Amino acid sequence: MLMHFEQFAVTSMLGTEDRPPRANGALCFGDDWERTAFGVALALSRGGHFEWEDFRQHLIAAITRWENSHALDDSSWSYYDCWLAALEAVVIEAGLSTDAEIGVASARLEKVKLTNSAADTPDGGQSAASNSNSNHGVST
Amino acid sequence: MTERFEYPSDREAKSAARAKALEALLIEKGVITKNTVDTVMNFFETKMGPFNGAKVVARAWVDPAFKRRLVSDTTKAIAELDLPEGMVGAEGEHMRAVANEPDVHNLIICTLCSCYPWPVLGLPPYWYKDPTFRSRAAREPHAVLKEFGLDIPTKIEVKVWDSSAQIRWFVVPERPAGTEGMSEADLAKLVTPESMMGVAVAKAA
Repeated sequence: MLMHFEQFAVTSMLGTEDRPPRANGALCFGDDWERTAFGVALALSRGGHFEWEDFRQHLIAAITRWENSHALDDSSWSYYDCWLAALEAVVIEAGLSTDAEIGVASARLEKVKLTNSAADTPDGGQSAASNSNSNHGVST
Repeated sequence: MTERFEYPSDREAKSAARAKALEALLIEKGVITKNTVDTVMNFFETKMGPFNGAKVVARAWVDPAFKRRLVSDTTKAIAELDLPEGMVGAEGEHMRAVANEPDVHNLIICTLCSCYPWPVLGLPPYWYKDPTFRSRAAREPHAVLKEFGLDIPTKIEVKVWDSSAQIRWFVVPERPAGTEGMSEADLAKLVTPESMMGVAVAKAA
């Protein structure tokens, strides 16, 4: 069952209004990447690449860093950004990848999404068709 | 292109790219496969959820001796029921139940992050992970509960249980009046995740 606050959080903060309910009726993720981050963390821990408690300590650290630099009700709060930071930390510690490698791969993916998406309107209202002079600095 | 694929902010787009890129890298390196996330999530989405907790609570309502065992050794008591595998491990190995009484109301939180008894409640809702909720619930539980529509008189104690790596708490709500003679299956339908978190009480249908 979808609780009112959760419904509000998903639709107003994350902008994805028409996501179908999950099998048990409770919507868990506001966007697919959050589900991916969650699933990857679980899978890697179950696969023995790191202890869940190590991941949890990184998660706490990421949350604490955010709380120490924001008012608690600041709308930029994103639980899954903290989750992702923790996941990257344990992946790097486990030697599965490096910060540089992840950075290059994500910049490349971001660029692909931008050039493919005619309706994409990043901050600044500039559309990012592949032949535009897009120079807002997302990725070059 | 429909609105569904618009990212509301640059930050969201960057996070999505990082998460997807990480998955792709790990697949490329053979650490996981392209089906891994779906397999893991399918388990969560079909086997771990409040339907498990509801069964546990319904049993506690009809069987006072089970309720006593549930509170004193939660893991062992849950093992008596026919629940899916995976009750231990992945935020389930140290689950502990606390029972609401007429003079005590229980609320579960995690002040540091989001520890939660996944096997019996599924994944926590957004507000459970919210920094404001986490800090205020610890400091002023009566006020926070009132905002959830639950008015607990100040003379009734609200015990706040802070979940951690060691223990993930959940609440056994009181059985509502007017449910005498109902079957366990029907009683389970009255047990909401909110009541097992302590931000609501169970109500007769």
